[in-house]
Amino acid sequence: MSDDVRPEPAPRPVGEVLGQSVPKPDAREKVTGRAVYTEDLCVPGMLHGALLGSPHPHARILSYDTSRARALPGVRAVLTAEDLPAHDIGPAIKDQPVLARGKVRYAGEPVAAVAAVDLPTARRALGLIDIQYEVLPAVFDAEEALRPDAPVLHAPRGPGHPNAASYIRLVEGTPDSVWARCHVVVEDVYETPAQQHIYLEPCSTLAEVDPDSGKITLHTSTQSGFRVQAVTAEALGVPMSRVRVLVPRVGGAFGGKVESTNQPITAALAMAAGAPVRLTFSRTDDMKMMRSRHGARIFMRTGATRDGRILARQVRIHFDTGAYADDGPFVANIGSYFARGPYRIPHVDVQCWCVYTNKLRAGAFRGFGNPQIHFASEVQVDRLAEALGMDPIELRLRNALETGEKWLGGAPVESGTLRACLERARDVSDWARRRERTPTAPGKQRGIGVAAVSHVSGLLGSSATVRLNEDGTVTVNTGAVDTGQGSDVALTQVAAGALGLSMEQLNFSRPDTDTSPYDWCSGGTRTTFTVGRVITQACEQVRVQLFAHASALLQRPVRRLELRPGGFVGVRDEPGTSVSFAAIAGRALYVEGGPIIASARYLYPAWQLDTNRTQVEGLPFMGNGFFVFAAQVAEVEVDELTGHVEVLEAWSVHDVGRVINPAATEGQVQGGFVQGLGYALTEELVWNEGQLVNPTMGDYKVPGVLDVPVALHAVLLEQPFGPGPFGAKGVGEVGLVGVAPAICNAIRHATGAQVRQLPATAERVLRALMERD
Amino acid sequence: MRYAEPESVEAALLALNAHEDARCLAGGASLVAMMNAGRIAPGMLVSLHRIPELFTITEASDGIWLGAMCTHRTVAADTRLGGAMEVVRGAARQLAHPAIRNMATLGGSIGLADPRTELPVALVAASALAEVAGAHGRRAVPVESLFVDSHRTSLQRGEFVTRVFLPRGATGAVGHHLRFSRVAADYPTVSVSLVLDMEGDTCQQVRVVVGSCAPVPLHLDAADQRLIGTRLEAEDVAEAGGLLAQAAAPIDDVRGSAEYRRMLIPRLLGRALSQARERAHV
Repeated sequence: MSDDVRPEPAPRPVGEVLGQSVPKPDAREKVTGRAVYTEDLCVPGMLHGALLGSPHPHARILSYDTSRARALPGVRAVLTAEDLPAHDIGPAIKDQPVLARGKVRYAGEPVAAVAAVDLPTARRALGLIDIQYEVLPAVFDAEEALRPDAPVLHAPRGPGHPNAASYIRLVEGTPDSVWARCHVVVEDVYETPAQQHIYLEPCSTLAEVDPDSGKITLHTSTQSGFRVQAVTAEALGVPMSRVRVLVPRVGGAFGGKVESTNQPITAALAMAAGAPVRLTFSRTDDMKMMRSRHGARIFMRTGATRDGRILARQVRIHFDTGAYADDGPFVANIGSYFARGPYRIPHVDVQCWCVYTNKLRAGAFRGFGNPQIHFASEVQVDRLAEALGMDPIELRLRNALETGEKWLGGAPVESGTLRACLERARDVSDWARRRERTPTAPGKQRGIGVAAVSHVSGLLGSSATVRLNEDGTVTVNTGAVDTGQGSDVALTQVAAGALGLSMEQLNFSRPDTDTSPYDWCSGGTRTTFTVGRVITQACEQVRVQLFAHASALLQRPVRRLELRPGGFVGVRDEPGTSVSFAAIAGRALYVEGGPIIASARYLYPAWQLDTNRTQVEGLPFMGNGFFVFAAQVAEVEVDELTGHVEVLEAWSVHDVGRVINPAATEGQVQGGFVQGLGYALTEELVWNEGQLVNPTMGDYKVPGVLDVPVALHAVLLEQPFGPGPFGAKGVGEVGLVGVAPAICNAIRHATGAQVRQLPATAERVLRALMERD
Repeated sequence: MRYAEPESVEAALLALNAHEDARCLAGGASLVAMMNAGRIAPGMLVSLHRIPELFTITEASDGIWLGAMCTHRTVAADTRLGGAMEVVRGAARQLAHPAIRNMATLGGSIGLADPRTELPVALVAASALAEVAGAHGRRAVPVESLFVDSHRTSLQRGEFVTRVFLPRGATGAVGHHLRFSRVAADYPTVSVSLVLDMEGDTCQQVRVVVGSCAPVPLHLDAADQRLIGTRLEAEDVAEAGGLLAQAAAPIDDVRGSAEYRRMLIPRLLGRALSQARERAHV
């Protein structure tokens, strides 16, 4: 249960800091190159680690011969599964060994590890490891993997196909009986790719082991020191009291660094070598060994009445989770949970499979199942609008869930601001004018498209400690990791707004599992929302303690006291009467009461699905969250000669509740849009017989600065509501979610070409154009 | 690995011949990346960056000589490269991105003979000559004749390109380079380089070369001939493009399927020709 502290946090910030574009504390060091990332760390006697990947997508391991590698001068440790505890890890299903054990399940899967005096020696040693394999039949397609005769990756865990990591079914109403009542029914099969995170900083860990206590200290690039601590301890069979995790600057993560990366194996190497080991992946190793977004194939059928009321929807989703479940079953939860979209559709039938194949594992990635299902849903809603002869925004408005209405499964929509987002998007994009097809250069066509976007923010637990220093300044400690998105500055501003302090009067501690209070993860559109909330709760407790001292010092009742900007407690209607936080700290430390400190915790209350309303099968809920809404509009120009799509201008309208730092928020929205642009147009891992064919940034293309629309408008609406700090809502993932459908709807509007498979490469668009003709 | 920085062409030739496994290092944009990726491990590198004559640009009455160590950036900035020669300047201006254009060189592009890159395509369209230095002195050969296969040239061991001659071509001829890539700065999926000479509305002379669609820059006499003497009507362009598409031997890769590349050839040829004609009228 969550720990709701009364009274509620201050609804209005004190002072002027909250809502300002305060520069990020790490901005200067990053642009000057001073920022210290894990790979920049160096300790005496440090060794360099490297991993050997499997050459086969599916094979039994018959034998290892590491003797030649061990004999190479400079090699200090060589590990295979035989040297590690036989523990499997995984957030949903414990199916992943630290190094492949018994068999390999994807090409590139780490099978052996080396620590040596330098990286070239470590890499040479990898080449001297001899592993004998018996190649097994492999499967690379999620639907094929569910056939009765498909090769099986993991030992069966129960009834059902052993390759199904999870299966979900959600039914509301009686869809089978209402199709006949629909005047318009559209159906299609949609496909989305395995997109990769391409964080600029590849995964990296420096592990040190204290020879006396055995305590492992990890410096690592992660979204959660606490996940790393728990998973490393579990994988290596050591208590968490012997694992400490510190997080230097992180160069992007996007979901790829939620769970463990190379921390357990680096710690194992350091233990085996008796020396510190640093292991940083090359870009290609990172791309071949870590994880991607789930590729998906989605069948969807939607029906509506003549007046544009959507009546029924049927959905079948296959998520390809690759060789290991990782966060796949949770991604499948979100994909299923959002399959109805932000619309009131009374009759719904959703089936979802999360399936093992012999490819790189898929896991968490910005949007977490939502970009896939939004692509299918939002493209299909446009087809429906076309069939009905309605404006796409009008159709969405007619069906948009409003405050108080129920989500699929029965959870209430507490702040249903999709309508406001769509209406603002319509205004700012000059929608009506641009829907009239604009004349353009010969061979090119312009069009504009929209997507309605919904997401959740807030899952799982956070805590914060707030402490008054002797001089009246304040230290805030949360355990939250700033992955580059700007949470350090935003959370400091939350504390500033809660206590009326300046940025200089606040010390925001960086995460250290030895000293920070618990935070689950910087992910899930939750850090500002959930960690920000616990900061306001803890600050509120500090305020109560401050007022008790101030009341005694000023000889005034508590109810007449107020916070004043700059670190003062004053008396309402007595402008000249106040006492500084410093004076209060002195009294607390040396005279009476003890140090002023408070901690708070919060867990977004889990929603139990209403089984009277919804038939539910196999939905292992990890906690939902607070619904947030956005509308995204893109104007494109399609080259009919080549199929190339250029996004000319885009509008991303978000209800963020309350803006804490406008520049950082806009940055999140723009970054999300650009990552969505890659998902929409160019980014796709490609395999040939299980071998990744494009594991370099030369072959796998993320949008560069020249590919981004010149005008990318982040439009922030403020409708404060809910448990977030000062009514703020999450935004981190949301900016990516609707980009692909908005662009594909714009392609359709421009040319009539219907793209059903992402990314909408020039080749796919040209084929769709030829299909149209 | 051994390394030398000779200060003359003759010294470089000696260094190259002194080692069985020596490679010339020009800009290093590709060579060093390939070494870092572990794809090649030459026993010796002979850097050409201290040889002044390889950087010189000389204007002649019938064309311009460009030193082999001229970077793409230098070529792109040289306004003397007008008319037919503009095709090379256009390719140099558009390819890859500024960091690459600042490093990569004319001679390096020829020596690499990467079928994905576009400078060789433009050089063949421009009817460029290469001066090749070797043990038996220097000779000038058509650049086209140097490309024999993917990443293979007819240069012998111990030879390297010292400079490139771009002929001015007929008065009124225009050179034009058109590239199509997935994103800015990627290798082109298909590129088209051409030199066109119109007399009124009639094509007097044309030389079309297609890139990224064969192991070497694709130049087909029959396609040029199909266009010469016509008014470049849609049918003429489609047929010439069809001949090129038929002769092409593209590969399937992450930039596009072979079939897509074949589809693009006539389409991009049409666009390149009309853009060149617009330029001719300016």
